[in-house]
Amino acid sequence: MHISEGVLSAPVLISGMALTAAGTAIGLKKLDYEHIAKAGMLSAAFFVASLIHIPVGPSNVHLVLNGIVGLLLGWSAFPVILVALILQAVLFQFGGITTLGVNTMIMALPAVLCYAVFSPFIHKRNTVALAAAFACGALSVFLGALLVGLALVFTEKNFLEVSAIVVAAHLPVMIIEGIVTALCIIFLKKVQPEMLPGKVEGNQ
Amino acid sequence: MKSKLKETVRTVFWIFAYTLLLAGNAHAHRVSVFAWVQGDTVHVESKFSGGKKVKGGRIVVTDSSGVELITGKTDNSGEFSFKIPRQTDLKIILEAGMGHRAEWTVPADDMESMAVEDQTPPTKPTAEREPEITEAVQNEQNVSMPDQVPAGPDLAEIEAVVEKVLDKKLKPVLKMLAEFGENGPTIRDIIGGIGYIIGLVGLAAYLRYRKRDVVNTTN
Repeated sequence: MHISEGVLSAPVLISGMALTAAGTAIGLKKLDYEHIAKAGMLSAAFFVASLIHIPVGPSNVHLVLNGIVGLLLGWSAFPVILVALILQAVLFQFGGITTLGVNTMIMALPAVLCYAVFSPFIHKRNTVALAAAFACGALSVFLGALLVGLALVFTEKNFLEVSAIVVAAHLPVMIIEGIVTALCIIFLKKVQPEMLPGKVEGNQ
Repeated sequence: MKSKLKETVRTVFWIFAYTLLLAGNAHAHRVSVFAWVQGDTVHVESKFSGGKKVKGGRIVVTDSSGVELITGKTDNSGEFSFKIPRQTDLKIILEAGMGHRAEWTVPADDMESMAVEDQTPPTKPTAEREPEITEAVQNEQNVSMPDQVPAGPDLAEIEAVVEKVLDKKLKPVLKMLAEFGENGPTIRDIIGGIGYIIGLVGLAAYLRYRKRDVVNTTN
């Protein structure tokens, strides 16, 4: 999910940067001090997750974890993912500095969307929450892959073909990520429910 | 109606299955390319982070001003070789699909084309000494004869041989160097990154408590 430098054309890079800047501004505004520690932890987790390679079939894939970051943070996923990606670009040479905007957008936008869709279900019964968390983890990777396809369209052939390849390559990640997200949410529900979003006391 | 739906589902499934096979090695986050010169050929090697070879990656060779000279695809062991088209800085670009791209530049100095070599040997002092000795051993009688006259062809020959042997001997070293440069993230990088994040959290916490202090003192 990390697009290298020199692949994308300037308009794509610039629009990616603009969207990321807007998302980060909103995210920082919504990030109150109570959640700084949580955001930091998730940023660290996201930063390290891409190093965890899971051999699947002929290739190996790495975790993205944008689903869980989005689910727990909402809009604040933007600054959190941006920070982690900056560090990945500088320290691991994953992606690149010029593609930072696009890469952040690719991973953070699905996170926010999935947050909007799935966070209401988190406080429901365990089975519902489990299903929602799984869907959130899987869908955010899927949408990210679609966005990669979208970003590459302007340099490579046609949208469907590129997206199909990217999505297909990420199918195993989607499943693993869904399971990881589901496990995390169930665990947090039991142990640390105040970490979950929108926990309104007495309301639910 | 139903069979049509079934058919679409099946097509989509096959597209996925097929692309999954195709994309098998296209999934990694960094790709690197490395090239070295051997005689009049440039060898290119490519791999993803984690050591997987880039199979069928697109290689584009351009000169320093970006004019495309050669294009090709890497073979199953991630390698690609081509004859040097002309004496210029060669930029080798590897496109491994899905937004993965890497570059390597072979400077013009690395390619000693034959035309240039013919003129240079007499000015190279290290190369000159050796043939003189062999000449001296061969023509023991005519010590006073000028050594330089028959030394010409031998010099070129020796240089060619030395170059060939050096290329061969240096190949593993060059490869090692290339591998050394592309080591994956080390534990230092990881801890460093986490440290930065903790630092940011600390900064935010500091800002918060400073604000509260200000509020407290003003109240």
